[in-house]
Amino acid sequence: MKIGFLHSVIRPEEKYLIEEFKKRGAEIVMIDDRNLTFNLDKNNFDFDIVLERCINHSRALHSLRLFEAAGIKCVNSYKVATVCGDKLLTSVALKEHGVPQPEVRIAFTEESALKEIEEMGYPVVLKPAVGSWGRLLSKVNDKDAAEAILEHKTVLGSYHHSVFYIQKYIEKNKRDIRAFVIGDKCICAIYRTSDHWVTNTARGGVATNCPVTPELNDIAVKAAKAVGDGILAIDIFETPKGFLVNEVNYTMEFRNSIKTTGVNIPEKIVDYVIKAAKENGKQN
Amino acid sequence: MTECPVCGLKLEQNSLIKNELFSCPDCGAELEVTEINPLEVKEAPKEEEDWGE
Repeated sequence: MKIGFLHSVIRPEEKYLIEEFKKRGAEIVMIDDRNLTFNLDKNNFDFDIVLERCINHSRALHSLRLFEAAGIKCVNSYKVATVCGDKLLTSVALKEHGVPQPEVRIAFTEESALKEIEEMGYPVVLKPAVGSWGRLLSKVNDKDAAEAILEHKTVLGSYHHSVFYIQKYIEKNKRDIRAFVIGDKCICAIYRTSDHWVTNTARGGVATNCPVTPELNDIAVKAAKAVGDGILAIDIFETPKGFLVNEVNYTMEFRNSIKTTGVNIPEKIVDYVIKAAKENGKQN
Repeated sequence: MTECPVCGLKLEQNSLIKNELFSCPDCGAELEVTEINPLEVKEAPKEEEDWGE
């Protein structure tokens, strides 16, 4: 079996996955997106499947589309990357599939965004539709802050910062949940705890094990199905009224979660990819 | 054997693989392995706006 391993830099996650593929005797073809080119008339790739592990969303997205156009099955798929890479599209998919999430509003001008924020009530969180690791998130506590941030985004940001994704701030008592879903199952989860309102481990949030209850499994798998299924990390808020899905990540990081949960996450990912490649081979 | 491009520390190949990120044990600069035999490194690429999960 030949695995196309789409990557740029190799982080601990990629190294774990490579080691796991080698244990299975799978042949890995390393595809560095910095050297990757496509010729639409001559694309002919000799892989059974591509596993996407890029660090750049834009490269992942377009490479997946191009590999799929060349008939190669990809994990995750272009559709999943498209939906998860854009918080607006994620929210729409969650809504369409009845997955609970915090209140979200979208606006395209400073004026209309401010009107929506005032109507929602403070605090709210302004997020770039495309972005990760908690970058450029703004907790907006009052109208003065809202006006300033909206103006700064409009004047200083590139055009996509003028798509205003506004999420109701959820009081999360210093922690949220990161649930890891592979296929039909939430394989494990962590609490991410921080004194800061941004709890991403990339921003210093501390990981501890979170038991996977039937309720947690249910919402995490529903969220994964809503965005198109695959290997996904679901960020979830705990509220008195139940779980709310915050975001869904399609190139998940898990270096802090293997020992924490006791679950061999790369092994589960490789199981899924090899199974998907075999099933795809049978169909073709 | 190669040197850290930031501080000049001599670096040895341990179990590094091509394109792997690692921190210089002396100055902490984030480096990327460009070749493994013999070891060659460069400063890791700077974070871009669409980096992430």
